[in-house]
Amino acid sequence: MEFLLEIMTEELPSAHVKGALAQLQEGFSKEIRASGIEVSSLKALGTCRRLVLTADLGAGQPDQEEIVTGPPRTAGLAADGSFTRAAQGFARSQGISVDNLQVVKTAKGEYLGFKRQKKGKSTTEILKEKLPAIISSLSFPKTMRWADKSFRFSRPVKSLLCLFNGEVVRVSLEGLEASDKTAGHFIHSPVVLTANSYQQYYQALKDNFVLVDPVERKRRIEGQFQEKLTGLKAQIYPDERLLERLLWNVECPLVIMGSFPDSYLSLPLEVLSTAMREGQQLFSVVKGKKQLPYFLGIADAPSDPKNYIVTGNERVLKARLEDARFFWENDLKVSLMERAKQLSGVVFQEKLGSYADKVARLQELVGYISERLDLRNLKKDLTEAARLSKSDLLTEMVREFPELQGKMGGIYAQRQGWPETVSRAIYEHYQPESWEDQVPDSVGGAILSLADKLDTLAGISGTGYTISGSSDPYGLRRSALGVSKIILDKKFHLSLRRLIDKSVSLLKKKLTLPEEQVKAACLGLLEGRLRFILEKKGYSYDLINAALAPGLDYLDYAEARIEALSSLKASKNFEQFIMMVKRVKNILKDSPKAKLDPARLTEKEEKELYSALKIIRKNAEGMMAKGDFAGAQKIIFRLQAPLNSFFDRVLVMAEDKRIRSNRLALLAQVQSLVDQLADYSQIVGSSENS
Amino acid sequence: MSMQSLFVGLSDFWAKQGCYLAPTYDLEVGAGTMTPDTFFRVLGRKPWRVAYVQPSRRPTDGRYGENPHRVQKHFQFQVIMKPSPLNIQRIYLDSLVSLGINLSEHDLRFDEDDWESPTIGSWGVGWQVMLDGLEITQFTYFQQAGGLELFPVSVEITYGLERLEMFLEQKDNIYNLKWSDDVTYHHLRFREEKEFSIYNFEQADTNMLRSSFAAAEKEAQRLISQQLLLPAYDYCLKCSHLFNLLDARKAISVTERVKMIGQIRTLVNQIARLYVDQEGEN
Repeated sequence: MEFLLEIMTEELPSAHVKGALAQLQEGFSKEIRASGIEVSSLKALGTCRRLVLTADLGAGQPDQEEIVTGPPRTAGLAADGSFTRAAQGFARSQGISVDNLQVVKTAKGEYLGFKRQKKGKSTTEILKEKLPAIISSLSFPKTMRWADKSFRFSRPVKSLLCLFNGEVVRVSLEGLEASDKTAGHFIHSPVVLTANSYQQYYQALKDNFVLVDPVERKRRIEGQFQEKLTGLKAQIYPDERLLERLLWNVECPLVIMGSFPDSYLSLPLEVLSTAMREGQQLFSVVKGKKQLPYFLGIADAPSDPKNYIVTGNERVLKARLEDARFFWENDLKVSLMERAKQLSGVVFQEKLGSYADKVARLQELVGYISERLDLRNLKKDLTEAARLSKSDLLTEMVREFPELQGKMGGIYAQRQGWPETVSRAIYEHYQPESWEDQVPDSVGGAILSLADKLDTLAGISGTGYTISGSSDPYGLRRSALGVSKIILDKKFHLSLRRLIDKSVSLLKKKLTLPEEQVKAACLGLLEGRLRFILEKKGYSYDLINAALAPGLDYLDYAEARIEALSSLKASKNFEQFIMMVKRVKNILKDSPKAKLDPARLTEKEEKELYSALKIIRKNAEGMMAKGDFAGAQKIIFRLQAPLNSFFDRVLVMAEDKRIRSNRLALLAQVQSLVDQLADYSQIVGSSENS
Repeated sequence: MSMQSLFVGLSDFWAKQGCYLAPTYDLEVGAGTMTPDTFFRVLGRKPWRVAYVQPSRRPTDGRYGENPHRVQKHFQFQVIMKPSPLNIQRIYLDSLVSLGINLSEHDLRFDEDDWESPTIGSWGVGWQVMLDGLEITQFTYFQQAGGLELFPVSVEITYGLERLEMFLEQKDNIYNLKWSDDVTYHHLRFREEKEFSIYNFEQADTNMLRSSFAAAEKEAQRLISQQLLLPAYDYCLKCSHLFNLLDARKAISVTERVKMIGQIRTLVNQIARLYVDQEGEN
């Protein structure tokens, strides 16, 4: 039987709507099912003004047999088997004849009692009981109170509609009682509507300018985007976040298209699209990479008969662009070099000093990285780029649109005649901002970004700041992710440990924690993000554990190790090899370290193992030094045959203590070679999978 | 339509909703929220309804009279209703209709925009109201003021009068707005914008501003110790405006900014606490 719930509210932030709908669906399903009511076809939908839930529910709880117990048998039955007064009293109080009483065995002993049918509650009763708590328990990133109510919600709740099988369920919540009434579009059809089924509710809303289903709204928006753009052969500059936000913000989507004067096209593309998106929530229209003097917007209205919506948006956008031009022209009056001098007045972080201090460190660091990468020819340009990299924080454009930091610096640098390497490096040096974001295109941008992030990582960790839960105001996770992603994507062969050493040495006096602790904290953060990246790339956790066990230093090698493991995992040898390695590890677990004396190797098999080990080690280490982990891996597999014979024929735990410890020393050498590649014991074999 | 008919129209509308029409407060403030008619009255339990026009000074928004939309002083129409009526959004829409706006021809949106003013230890939850893409009103349910949790909750509606008037007159330039039938915004305000922009950005004597800030801060402290809360609050408002002027002169470093805002907030929070305590005694 059909169930329908609508919670009408004042406009919820769009980011709150989705979360609330998911919680509502989950909470409802859990609570109602737990009450013994069947739930199917459960669906949550809505807009910023209404959270809606619909489902098919059973009629009620099934009837249940229950046992009512009275006095203990000893008190209820006399010696002659007749009922005592206590038993008679109990029967009377329950409204049954005393003859219906029987002996019931319970965990606590024997009692007199009787069975009766307990009528299950109706779904309506259950809904009335459970819904208030389900609704009250919705959690939001931020809540509020209103009027003189103590209730908290994301925004004020206006009304409730609740129907089951066509009848109103009078759920009450904080002074509101549910009815069968809802309302059309707040502006365009503010009339009261009466619902008796979901279909009719949905249709009545649609007739009154509310599309309650987000899927349908999205379809309408995309269709109208197409309509507006085909004539121009243009595209919107894709912006999924904005689209998602607007999708929940409107009940009656209407795509509008407007234009702005060509003269603003002289502003950089980045400025134009940011001015449209931020505050105005408009999409910019592009043809290829060229900005056109048009925008698309999503209004919440059935139509724009007098073109007021378009012209209104045009007027406001023009004002914003006018302001952007004011910033642009003002900013160009002062060179980035001049601004760099003023950075000593801008604090980067209280204990770490100003941005001028940071810039000085970055200049050192990009020089160091360039040398390490054998890119000495870039050193001069990148030192300049580092010097100018933070100057745009003082521009009016970045003050107005903080998300343009870096980009504006790059654009201004280009206008002020700096070489391409310099301006590109500045432009790209905040990238990547997230896992999805691209790393810098240019090597210079990558190096500057790396330096900036390392400095933040080492500096902030070094002041004793740690991340707790979702709170990460300095973006340490983002910095660590950026460092790992850049090194991997750019295939930089760099020692992470030396990078951190260098970064820490530049910060030295400012750090409040001991250097070793800072380095460990940085490595910990980097390892965490590296694991995240490798997981995103599809490697399983056991391979990641195995490949990272030899320690974190050259990230390109860490990735090569895991690639090697992954490509060989399927081979038959692999599993057997792992068993073998685990066996070696087990034997060595509690053994004291000993020195191998080759002269004391007596048995044929142990001699063979030793000579095989020597050759394999030489080859494998040579390959590893060149980063060829797949090759090294294959060679090391060749240990398997001699190891097998060794275990078959040689008793490791020999009586003679000296022979025993010599054999253990031989195995220890095997293990130390293998450990350079991976900790194989971490790998879950297919036979172990359950 | 003209600026003054807008004042009159909104005053008339909100007076009918039971609001007391307060005279404009006679100190420089950054927003209508900061005047005593809002700040003190949203504290405590007593109901309150007020509406008033408040000139609001934002020195950094000066554009020498050259920008068609930004000015360093603009006019707000401020409404406070405590406790917030349950149908307040509808009342607000009616106020727009009373100005002659046919809402069905437009796109009106309540767009998430929470408000906060660290200087006066206040924050609230609400929206910016967008009319065809133009922000015409800030609509806020106050949750905290002077560092104190508020109950009952007040709703604050702040109309940006120039914005609204530009919408009504369909004008692209603020200076072309009519103040009355024969006086323009340009006539009344252009010279003021130009001279104050020069003052705010170039001429304001930062040493004088700093010492004035220090003196006003000290005076506020002294008045608090004398339990003279309204005069003490006036000196906090002076501090806030002096701070804004220093900011326009780019004379404040990031750390200094945090420190100065913190100084004002500490004073304001003390005043709020004492005020609520005193109200409790009455």
